[in-house]
Amino acid sequence: MAPTTLAAASIDGGHDALLNQLDIYAVSKPWRKPHWKPPQRRNKTVKQAIDASRRDATNINTQANSGASTPFPPASGSAATPLQLNPAEASEDLSRLVLSKRMQAALSIGPKVEFEELLGAPSIHPSSKKRYCDITSQPAPYTDPKTKLRYHNREVYGYIQRLSGQDIERLLEVRKANTVLK
Amino acid sequence: MDNQENSLKSPPKNIWFLDDYPPFTGEGRQPVDASGYHRSSPEDAIVIDNGTSTVRAGWSFDKDPRLSLDPVMARYKDRKLNRMFQFVGADVYADGTARGQAKNIYEPGTNIVNNWDVQEGVLDYIFIKLGINGRDGAIDRPIVMTEPMANLVYSRRVMSEILFELYGVPSAAYGIDSLFSYNYNNGRTGLVVSSSYTSTHLVPVIDSKPVLSKASRLNWGRSQSAEHLLALMKAKYPTFPGKLNEYQMEQLVREHCYVSQDYEQEMSKYLDWTGLEDRDVVIQRPFTEAVVVEKSEEELAKVAERKRQNGLRLQAQSAKMRLDKLIRKEQDLEYYRDLQQRVAVMTKKDAKAVLEADDFDTEAQLERKIKDYEASIRKARHKDVGDIEEEAEVPVTYPLLDTPDAQLDEEGLKQKRQQRLLKANHDARARAKAEKEREKARVAEIERLDNEKRENDLEGWLQERRIARQAAIQRIKDRDRLKADLGNRKSLASQIRMKNIANLASDNPTKKRRRGNDDDTFGADDADWGIYRSIATGDGSDDDDEEDLDAGLKAIEAQLLAHDPNFTEHSTRDAQQDWTKSLLHAFQHGPWAFDKESVRDAHQLHLNVERIRVPEVVFQPSLAGLDQAGLVEIASGILTQRLAHSPHQPQVLRDIFLTGGNTLFRGFEERLRDELVAVLPAGAPLGVRRAQNPVADAWRGAARWAAGDGAKRAFVSRAEWLEKGGDYIKEHDLGNAYAS
Repeated sequence: MAPTTLAAASIDGGHDALLNQLDIYAVSKPWRKPHWKPPQRRNKTVKQAIDASRRDATNINTQANSGASTPFPPASGSAATPLQLNPAEASEDLSRLVLSKRMQAALSIGPKVEFEELLGAPSIHPSSKKRYCDITSQPAPYTDPKTKLRYHNREVYGYIQRLSGQDIERLLEVRKANTVLK
Repeated sequence: MDNQENSLKSPPKNIWFLDDYPPFTGEGRQPVDASGYHRSSPEDAIVIDNGTSTVRAGWSFDKDPRLSLDPVMARYKDRKLNRMFQFVGADVYADGTARGQAKNIYEPGTNIVNNWDVQEGVLDYIFIKLGINGRDGAIDRPIVMTEPMANLVYSRRVMSEILFELYGVPSAAYGIDSLFSYNYNNGRTGLVVSSSYTSTHLVPVIDSKPVLSKASRLNWGRSQSAEHLLALMKAKYPTFPGKLNEYQMEQLVREHCYVSQDYEQEMSKYLDWTGLEDRDVVIQRPFTEAVVVEKSEEELAKVAERKRQNGLRLQAQSAKMRLDKLIRKEQDLEYYRDLQQRVAVMTKKDAKAVLEADDFDTEAQLERKIKDYEASIRKARHKDVGDIEEEAEVPVTYPLLDTPDAQLDEEGLKQKRQQRLLKANHDARARAKAEKEREKARVAEIERLDNEKRENDLEGWLQERRIARQAAIQRIKDRDRLKADLGNRKSLASQIRMKNIANLASDNPTKKRRRGNDDDTFGADDADWGIYRSIATGDGSDDDDEEDLDAGLKAIEAQLLAHDPNFTEHSTRDAQQDWTKSLLHAFQHGPWAFDKESVRDAHQLHLNVERIRVPEVVFQPSLAGLDQAGLVEIASGILTQRLAHSPHQPQVLRDIFLTGGNTLFRGFEERLRDELVAVLPAGAPLGVRRAQNPVADAWRGAARWAAGDGAKRAFVSRAEWLEKGGDYIKEHDLGNAYAS
C-alpha cells in the first residue's frame, strides 16, 4: 500500500472518510441491468480490434456476394441453404443487404472509410530527409558509422565515443532507429 | 577557438518545479447535480464527449459541460478493509493505491477504446453525477456520444451493446468530435485540422458534409509529445538520479513548448551563448542535500573544550598510573640495591643462594637489572616530573668490536655480536641521511642550472618547456584514446591486449624464439613486468599514471605562466576546455556552471532545444521516427491534389479550421498559415482560424446538435439496433459513414 494512504489513515480517519466519499463502488447504480454479463475478452488492442472489425466486414461481404453473384434456382433455394447458415444469421444478413441498398439510394455522406485507410502516407517531400543531431538537435552533417548516430560537430562526436551501448540505444530509440533487421 | 571569454550569466531568474502526479484538488466528492435531470424531458439527450484526454458530459440544453473528467478509473479490493473501491476521474489522485491502480479507457497513443470496464465505470460516474435515478432500471434519456473518425466496427458494436444492453438507453447517436467543433464554430465549407491528445486528423468539409474519403490521420498528438519529451530527457540525462514520468513531461510540453516559425534557423541558434538564459528553462527536481551540519562557533568551542577536558582526564589518569609504576619501580630498585649491598658482604655460596632466590644467575645480571631500572626511572622522572637531566650525546663506542674473538669469553662474544648489530644499524641511518642530503643538493643543483639557463637563454628555455607541455598534452590525449579504444572490442588496442593475455596464460608462449633460445627469459629484463600493467583495465589500473600526467602538465604550465609573457591564464589547458564554449554544456546545463559535486545541480533538468523540437514533430514526423507526412504536406496534398478538381477548392482554402488541444501551442496557427502560403499557388485565398475554444467546442457542438432538429433522425432506437446490427448507425453530417 502506498505510504500516503497509511500515513494519512493512521493519523486520523480523515483520509478514509474522503475515500468513502469518493468511492462509487458502494453507490447504487439502479440503471445497470443486473443480469447483464460483459462478453469475454472484449478488451482488445487496436490490432485485435481492427482484425475483429475486418472479420465482421468480410463475413457480411462474402455472404452478400454469394447471394448476389451465384443466383440459385428459386426452387432449390428454399430446399436447402447452400451456405448452411442458420436462419437467424440469414435473416440478419438479408436485412443488412436491404438496408445498405436503401442507404446507397439515400443521400449518403460518401463511402465508408476504414480506420487503417485513414492513416496518412509516408512523406515524399525532401524536407523529411533533413538530419538533426541525435544529441543536441542541431543540424547534423555527419553520421557516426559505428553507432549510426547523427552528430553536429567534433565535440558531440567525442561525447558519442564515451557513451555506453545502452545510452546509444536510447538515443536511437528517440527517432525509432534502433530496430535491427535480421 | 577564439580566446574571447564568454561573460558569466547571473543565476537563472525562474526555476520551475514539477508535480509528479496530477494533484488532487477536490475537497470531497463532486456533488450530484440532479437539477438537469429534473429539468429534462425524455427528449433531452445526455451528451458525452468521450475524449482521450478528457471526458465531458452534460445535457443537450446546457451551454457548457457539467462534468469534465480524466478517462481513468481505479477499481481494487483493499485487503485490509476487505472491501472494493472504485474511483473515477480525478478522484483516483486522492490516494496512492488508487493512483497506482488507475487504468485508462484508451490504448495509450490511440483513440481506440481498449478497456471497456473503465469505460463502464466512467459512464456510471457520469450517470451518478448527473443524478439519474434509474427508476425503471435503465437510463431513460437518449445518449449522444462522440467517437473517433472512421471508428472501428468492433468498437462501436461494443459501445452500443453497453449502452443498449447494460444501461437500456432508449436511443443513441454518435458523431465525430472535430466535426462538432467545426459546426459549433459555424463552419460550412473548409478544412478541419484537428490535433488532439492522441492523433491529428484533417478532413475537408464541403457544404456541411465531411468528405471522409479525402480525410487523413497523423498518429501524433499531445500524449505522443509528452512521450517523446520523456525519451529525449532520458537520453539527455542518462544518469539522472530522479524518476521522470509522462505527467511531468506533459506539464513541460504545456508550459514551455512552442512552435517555431523557422525551425532550422532557430534551432541552429538555439544553444548560442547570447540570450541562452532566456531560452533555457531550469527545472529543479526534489533532492536531499548531503547533510553537512554547520556548527556554530559556540558549539565548536564547546566540543573543543569537551575534548580538552577528556584529554586532560586521560592524561591525569595515565600520569597517575605512571606515577604508581614509578613508585613501584623505585621500591624495587631500593630492594635490589639493598640486595647488592647485602650480597657484597656475603660469602660466595650464600650470595649465590640469595641471588638464585631472586632469579639472578650472577652478580653482573643483578647489576644490569639495577642499571635498567635506573635508566627507566630517570626517563620516567624526566617525563612526568620534568627533571631536566639532559642526557649527553655520548658518542657510542663499540670497544669489543676491535677485540679478537679469542680474547673474549662467552659473555663477551654475546656482547660483541650485539654491538656489531647496533653499529650496523647506526651506520645505515647515517648513510640514509647522507643520501638524502645529496639528493637535496642534486635537486638544488638542477634548479640552479635551470635558472641559470633561463637567465642566459630565456627563449631556448621557453622553447624547451613548450615542447614538454605539448608532449604532456599528447600523452594525456593518447591515454584518453587508449582508454576509449579499450572500450571497443574490435580496436587494435583491445586486440593487442587480448593477445598479450592469451600469451601470458599460455604454457608455451607463441612468441618467436630467436636464435634458438629455448629458455624462458621472462623477468630477466625488469621491463618485462610492464606487460602486467598494460593489460590491467578498470579502476585503479593506471590512476597513479593519470595523476602524474595531470600534475606534470600543471607544473609545466605553472612555470610557463611565471616566465612566458605570452602564456596567460587563457592558454592553459583548463581554460581552453572552457565550459562556456561547450555546446554540450549549453545543451545539458544551460548557460550556468555545473558543479559535479552538487546534489542540487544533479537534480536539475534543462529544457532548451526540446522546447521547439517537441511541437515540431507534427510538422516533421520524421523527427520522432514516425514514417508519415507532416501536417503541411498532408494539408497541401488534400488541398492541391485530392480537391484539385473540386469546384469548392477555393472555398475550402478560405477556411482552414484548427481545433483540438495540440493546436494550442504558441505559433501553431501562424506557422501553418505561413507554410501553406509557401506551398499553395501564388495568390490563393487562404484563411486560417482557430476554434473559439479548441478543447471544449466539441462538446458544445455536440450539445447544440443534439438539441436541434438535425439530430432527431440520427438517433438509433433500441429496437432498430436489435434489428439492424451491432454497429448500425444512421448517417448524418457530423458523423461517420456507415454504408460501404
